Amino acid sequence: MAEQVRQRVARQFGRSLHIRTLDTGSCAVCEQEIRLLGAPHYDLHRLGFFFTPAPRHADLLMVTGPMIRAFDVAARKTYEAMPGPKLVVATGACALGGVYQADAFVHGTVDEILPVDVWIPGCPPSPLALLQGLLVAVDRLAEKVSGLTFTADGAER
Amino acid sequence: MPLWFARGLRRGIVTTRYPARPDSSAAGLPTPPAFRAGMLDHRLADLLVTVCPSRALYRDGDVLQFDVGRCTACGRCQEAAPGAVAPSGEFELAGTSRAAFVKQIPLAPEVGR
Repeated sequence: MAEQVRQRVARQFGRSLHIRTLDTGSCAVCEQEIRLLGAPHYDLHRLGFFFTPAPRHADLLMVTGPMIRAFDVAARKTYEAMPGPKLVVATGACALGGVYQADAFVHGTVDEILPVDVWIPGCPPSPLALLQGLLVAVDRLAEKVSGLTFTADGAER
Repeated sequence: MPLWFARGLRRGIVTTRYPARPDSSAAGLPTPPAFRAGMLDHRLADLLVTVCPSRALYRDGDVLQFDVGRCTACGRCQEAAPGAVAPSGEFELAGTSRAAFVKQIPLAPEVGR
């Protein structure tokens, strides 16, 4: 079942993907890196990715920020306005649960409100990391992080 | 077409060819730390847990849990223990499972007191 979904994702999104970005209370540095994706050096258009402001046209929701509670309803409305099949990519350390802890104003992690398919760490994630994350989301690149150990004893990686 | 023309055309294009080719700007990126497990004892691990501003480190007995997802690559852990912590150089960190970001770093066993 999961394999079928992945194949469907690759077939449907492998060539052209429309991305709606959503800021749930970030410091906007992630947004700066996302904006750089459209600039000539990284140029996400050459990979078939496009930004759209309309969730109704979007295939993928790129979410930054720690999900402030005041934004819950708007985040759900944006997600529900997207036609299926759709993907959610949580972008940046705030969205993954770092930096801000859950309190009266903020959830601290976006997966309390939205179902996340791909996580991209970083503060901010560089445009290269964002491209890798998007390509992982549409199954054009394999993820690496599960195989990394972050230990440095000898040649171990 | 003369070779110099083709070469100039290629060099004049600033667009990265990532992922087909590695991008040279990747070398300067701040990256999450890699830990020399054998050099970390409980005391040093507790210090690193305290200095991390993003709650990415947590000591659970003899294991240091490192949540790469929460890491902001600020470098404070490296500053606190320069011999035991170095940049990993890894920036392609996207993953599909949140649990896969939590790494277990074994600590040096406590010497009997």
